[in-house]
Amino acid sequence: MVARDTDRQDIVLDAIDAGVIVLDRVGRIVSWNAWMESASGRTAAAVRGKTLTETFPGVESGRLESAVSIALGSGASSILTHALHPTLFPLRSRAGRPLLHDVTVTAIGHQTGAGCLIHLTDVSRAVRRERFLRERQNARYDAVTESAPDVILTFDSEGIIQLANPAAGLKFGYGMADLIGQSATVLFEGQVWKDTWQALIDGRHLRQPVELEGRRKDGSLTYFEVSASRWQTDSRIFVTTILRDINERREILAALRHSEAQARAAASALTELNATLEQRVADRTAKLMETEEALRQSQKMEAIGQLTGGIAHDFNNLLQGIIGALDIVEKRIRAGRIGDVDRFVQGALTSANRASSLTHRLLAFSRRQPVDPRPMDVNLLIATMEELLRRSIGEKTRMTIAAADDIWLVRCDANQLENALLNLAINARDAMPGGGTLEIATSNAVLDAPQAMARNLKPGEYVRLTVKDSGVGMSPDVQARAFDPFYTTKPIGQGTGLGLSMIYGFVGQSGGAVLIESEIGAGTTIEICLPRYRGDLAPQENVPKETVESRTDRNEVVLVVEDEDVVRLLVVEVLNELGYLALEAADGSSALRILQSSQRIDLLVTDIGLPDLNGRQVVDAARTKRTDLKVLFMTGYAENAAGSAFLEPGMELISKPFTMEHLALKISDMIAR
Amino acid sequence: MTAPAPEILNELELDALTELVNLGISQAANNLAKMVREEVILSVPKVTLVGRQEAIRILAERDSKSLVAVHQVFEGDIIGRALLIFPEARSLELVKAVIGGNLPIEEIIELEQEALAETGNVILNGCLATIANLLKRKLKISLPEVLRGESSLFFNLQPPPEAGETVMFIYINFAVRERNIDGYIAMLMDLPSLQTLKVLLGDFIRRTAGN
Repeated sequence: MVARDTDRQDIVLDAIDAGVIVLDRVGRIVSWNAWMESASGRTAAAVRGKTLTETFPGVESGRLESAVSIALGSGASSILTHALHPTLFPLRSRAGRPLLHDVTVTAIGHQTGAGCLIHLTDVSRAVRRERFLRERQNARYDAVTESAPDVILTFDSEGIIQLANPAAGLKFGYGMADLIGQSATVLFEGQVWKDTWQALIDGRHLRQPVELEGRRKDGSLTYFEVSASRWQTDSRIFVTTILRDINERREILAALRHSEAQARAAASALTELNATLEQRVADRTAKLMETEEALRQSQKMEAIGQLTGGIAHDFNNLLQGIIGALDIVEKRIRAGRIGDVDRFVQGALTSANRASSLTHRLLAFSRRQPVDPRPMDVNLLIATMEELLRRSIGEKTRMTIAAADDIWLVRCDANQLENALLNLAINARDAMPGGGTLEIATSNAVLDAPQAMARNLKPGEYVRLTVKDSGVGMSPDVQARAFDPFYTTKPIGQGTGLGLSMIYGFVGQSGGAVLIESEIGAGTTIEICLPRYRGDLAPQENVPKETVESRTDRNEVVLVVEDEDVVRLLVVEVLNELGYLALEAADGSSALRILQSSQRIDLLVTDIGLPDLNGRQVVDAARTKRTDLKVLFMTGYAENAAGSAFLEPGMELISKPFTMEHLALKISDMIAR
Repeated sequence: MTAPAPEILNELELDALTELVNLGISQAANNLAKMVREEVILSVPKVTLVGRQEAIRILAERDSKSLVAVHQVFEGDIIGRALLIFPEARSLELVKAVIGGNLPIEEIIELEQEALAETGNVILNGCLATIANLLKRKLKISLPEVLRGESSLFFNLQPPPEAGETVMFIYINFAVRERNIDGYIAMLMDLPSLQTLKVLLGDFIRRTAGN
């Protein structure tokens, strides 16, 4: 019965596809199933009654013995795994291959000490499958990592390096085995790594590659761009990082930045240099212009000195004429012989007018003569001068005037143009001592760009006035200097050398240009180009010749402001003769008091230069209330009134000296308007 | 929450228990050292008896809430569960410490489950069997099972021990191959087991004092 039971048990045990060994209470084998026979190559009969150590003499016995003894002694179950005991028993599969196995040792029976059961499980298949999977995975992983130029490191969740590819060892200067088990902090330091690591461990993705500072084994720094990701097997977290060596890129970038910085510095230095250069050029130019201006002024002063000889002589002659004539007039009046006094008065006036003309020329030269440009017809001006010109050039010289029809208007100072024409005619006469032909011509001219450039003008419409002689001509040298002040080819006493330079100044002021064409022996042509004026001809008499009607019945009031008593007296006299009511003021402030009262004032005649407020200031103050106040400025020179730009509507200018007739005409004209 | 039951054991009994645990752990360390052929130091700074909820709380307060445990059931005069508990993050280190060498990480991961089970088995067996022997009692101890999760899971395993509200909480430090790993051994016992333990401890104290 017992034997039968034992047989039955053996049959059951033999049917189990696992190793079963039963030990008695002292550790001797009592059962050894078929699986064990096959795997160990030892029959049950051969091993029965032996201990395990006796059965497997070479077995690693320590752990097994203690497991058995603890099972027998305490009833505790033990497990011995292939993981920690890869070759516990020398077992083979039926095909003869090593058989991987786990072993459990458990006590048998309710009461411990009855014996124990050893159970062996074949885990070869599972282990092989795992190994196969791992190897396949490793093959893939290795294929990528082994040859990768980038450092590939895998860390566990504690930041311990678990995997490192050859590039990692190379780039950090470690042996690969040395890297495994090292903390990440050996290679990376600083906040960037801390932040990156934390982000990775938290499962956040790196949005962009992070630039990381690494430390080589030798302590030197190396730079990487890191991309990384977290992965998981079972519940374990790993982080695999791919680190791209960016040292070269950094160096290139640094070099690039350096050269960029250099370029920028150079550019900024250049800009600065340019700026200072421009400033220096501007400074130098300004200084040069100042110097030139000073030179011109000093030349003028010198010229005035030089002129003193000629002009003072002329002026003395003229004054002589005036004083002499007035002397005679006085004596005749005193003697009651006023019959032919007219002749002497006329003589004094003529001399005075000539003196006036002389000062005009001087003022024009010094550019202090106020220019009073008006729209005008050049042909008309020439026509009025024709008689004067013929007389000036004398009988030996023939004069022709070729005035083009429909000549455009120009805008300039009529007196100066007359002077210019007269000067040119006299020059021409002097260039033809043996007589010749003087041709004066006018035409409309449209200057194209090259033509304009030759004259230093803008292209456009101009009126051309030419004065051509058949005289000796000028050498290029003389032509070049012809416009220089005081340059003259005439003998001393015959000319001041100011003619052409004055013409040059006047034409330039009027927006035009003067051109000389001349050849020795082939005569000279002087061309004056004046810009076309697009507008109407002002109803203006160029030279007042007629007498003003002497009386007006209306009670117009004129305020005269003049600090020079004699002049004020004369002006008031003229006004009285014209029938106007004249009010007088000797300075600006008393004039202003009158102007700010309710007194009727139809015209203000004022000197520009006054002791306190100047004429202009008086007018400006007065016009705040009397907005339409008509004003006639009188001026000996008009430094403040360069050109006529300062004249507003209802304002006009009369230059001293002026004839009483001229003044009367201007006043009546203005009041009538 | 039930209050802890330290009053069940008096101070003397607790001292005796601590001594037993120390002896058990020493045996476990010996067994482990034999296995890994390296010096293994297992030290026990502290033994406490706490309530189940308190045990859960203590473990939950650790840095890592994710834990791994090797679990074995013991049956005899005393019935309960024994758990060797580590933070999950340290378990690989424990395995590496036991296996030694420079195995690739995947291989260690593959071996982890079994190695952990066996290591825990050696420690728990060494400890429990030694204590049982010293208390002159037999304990039937099951095969190990590896658990992962939070502390509450470990102390709410089905079926619950009857009135098993008391945990003998053993703080251990495990040092091998220059690695230091802190962990716990927890023994969850029911009240009758605890009372038996008290009786057995009394016998042990008398025997020891008698010697």
